[in-house]
Amino acid sequence: MVSAVGWRPYARVGEIGAYVLLVEWVRSLVVVAPHAAVPSLVIGGAALGLAAVGWRAQSLGLGASHLGLRIIGGFALGAVLLLPAAVRADAAPILPAGLALPAVAISIGEELAFRGALYAALDDLGGAPLAIIGSTALWTLAHAFSHPPAFLFAVAAAGLVLALWRWACRDLVGPIIGHVIADLLL
Amino acid sequence: MTPHRGRVAILAAAAAAYGVAAWMVAPGFYDGFGPAAPYNWVCPPAQAGSNLKPSSGHLSINVIGGVSDANSAFTNDGQIVIGFLPGAFDATGKSSISVDISPLTTCPSPAGIKLVTNVYQITADAPLKQPANLEMVFSNLLPAPNNIYIAASPSGPYHQLQSQPTRPFVLQAQTSSLGYFAAGYSAASPPAGAVTVGGGQALPIIVAGLIVVVVLAGLPLAIMRRRRSAGMEGGEEEEDDDEG
Repeated sequence: MVSAVGWRPYARVGEIGAYVLLVEWVRSLVVVAPHAAVPSLVIGGAALGLAAVGWRAQSLGLGASHLGLRIIGGFALGAVLLLPAAVRADAAPILPAGLALPAVAISIGEELAFRGALYAALDDLGGAPLAIIGSTALWTLAHAFSHPPAFLFAVAAAGLVLALWRWACRDLVGPIIGHVIADLLL
Repeated sequence: MTPHRGRVAILAAAAAAYGVAAWMVAPGFYDGFGPAAPYNWVCPPAQAGSNLKPSSGHLSINVIGGVSDANSAFTNDGQIVIGFLPGAFDATGKSSISVDISPLTTCPSPAGIKLVTNVYQITADAPLKQPANLEMVFSNLLPAPNNIYIAASPSGPYHQLQSQPTRPFVLQAQTSSLGYFAAGYSAASPPAGAVTVGGGQALPIIVAGLIVVVVLAGLPLAIMRRRRSAGMEGGEEEEDDDEG
């Protein structure tokens, strides 16, 4: 019995990690199929969000307290994520309006999965350092399916910023808002 | 919710590290819906930054029993792909058919059309009998094109092919003849990508707006919290409903 309880956090981390990587991998394969981009991104975002089902909102960092500060924090995170592109606006890409809904869906889904459920499971297993490093590592690995290798340092650094916010403020609302803003504008 | 100073310092250091890492690559998150790689231009727009030369492509299609095989020709950078069904060519007297794709070394500006990709010449040493399926990648640095155009010569006239987007930053059309191909939009109508949600020149304004909102709204909130904390009896910390 003790042994079974001891292994439970490991199993939970394994299940969530494998699930989110599988969803991200499938999404990266399906998105290139003809006419599949928008549905695959929206469904992929929803599937990632399912990783958070069963967790208490507070465990995910979704408590309702200090909502104003959380929202302002999200704006600040969005500004941090966009700043390197904003100072090189001439080279910044343009997101067609038709991809706005998929951008929102995938941003929310990724935050619920990586900085929400996966972070919480890793935190239960080994505390904040493991949660920050582990969630950032899996986030980077998941993006390796869809990003050129040159982008992965920036992806990892963005994941680290979001995970550190989750740790420092015990908040997921800020990362969700920051991620949505960044994906919508780039 | 309120982080300790040490945590704020770590967060600030991570934000600075992110700034450095993001500076080392082209702007953009490409979170699953961007082009797989930057577009290779013949005539790069001013905002393109570093640019690689677009590549060409070659395909040899087998002819078996007088019928040309199904196959696809594409450039090595994948910016244009043309697919042929079995028997797509008039293969009379041939054992194979050669298809070549090469980017035009100039950038024509036909009247009434705004081309937003390179112009590619596709040739074959046999005439087409059946329509071929053409896919063209376009860049996210320019407004999205509405159509693929075909011309018999680089200077035109360019004729619109019935086109549709098949996935982000890819247009698809069918063509009954080979020639010069490019994607673009009619200068008289707005491009498909005219309605955008960000990026480009609007970005600095939006980021500046975010910073202003953070400062204007965040400072009063922080001051209110500090006053409330100071007013609490015995200097107890404000109750936080978060876990941990």
